[in-house]
Amino acid sequence: MHPGGSMERRLRISGIMVITGLLVEALCLAWSQPIAFVVLVCIGGALIGLGVLFFLYSLLSASSHPASSSGAAAGK
Amino acid sequence: MPTFAIVILVLFSAALAGVLVVRPAITVSRAGKILAFGVLFFLPLFSLVAGMENEMQRSESTAFCLSCHIMEPYGKSLHIDDPSYLAGAHFQNHRVPADEACYTCHTNYAMFGTVKAKFGGLRHLYVYYLGKPPLPENIKLYEPFNNRECLHCHLGARSFEAGATHNADPATLPAIKANTLSCVSSGCHDSVHNVGHWGDKVKFWNGGS
Repeated sequence: MHPGGSMERRLRISGIMVITGLLVEALCLAWSQPIAFVVLVCIGGALIGLGVLFFLYSLLSASSHPASSSGAAAGK
Repeated sequence: MPTFAIVILVLFSAALAGVLVVRPAITVSRAGKILAFGVLFFLPLFSLVAGMENEMQRSESTAFCLSCHIMEPYGKSLHIDDPSYLAGAHFQNHRVPADEACYTCHTNYAMFGTVKAKFGGLRHLYVYYLGKPPLPENIKLYEPFNNRECLHCHLGARSFEAGATHNADPATLPAIKANTLSCVSSGCHDSVHNVGHWGDKVKFWNGGS
């Protein structure tokens, strides 16, 4: 396995969560119903929040194991 | 920030995040690392805060309140062609901003009035979707309407302070200001929305938004 594979996989997971959350947010902004706010916060906000937290976790875990992340974001 | 600008920002952020998902290897370079931080940390959080702020502002609009069909009769009451109907007279004469008519009168002007109104709105959502919503004519205020909400605008105004009815009895004006005599009490400004009690004679004004 590529040494940076783990970091790349985490970046992908984080990115997918953020993208899904952002798309939910875009839909909610276009949807003028009171429930849109709740969907934005509970689903969009949660996905974006989890994505960002997972990204930060990736950075922290990469800095604590520099050898395994030499090929990606925080490893160098 | 206008809604369309936020939507563009959100879609732009998603597109950039998509680039990272497809090609995570670009984060090997220093520029790539900065891009990853911006795209997976700064931009999503900024977009989320901007979107939530936009939704909070939208929740203050008359159209937002009236988008629940249970509120339709209340929206209709804003167009009653009779100046004795308090809500309609305020809306039609722009004594309250027409696009924030509900929020202007139904937010208490105490320190946590806005927060309280937002939590009240969340409760309404719960009841509307998961509970048993009452008939429009059975909707009641959580607490009696406080004169403070009227006095927020009318206090000091000549029409209020020097009004003949308000000064007919010297005790009236102090009682109104102390909230011991309600502005909407019987015999005063007691026709507000009166949903369910319009009868056949009520007419509607076709203007306004």
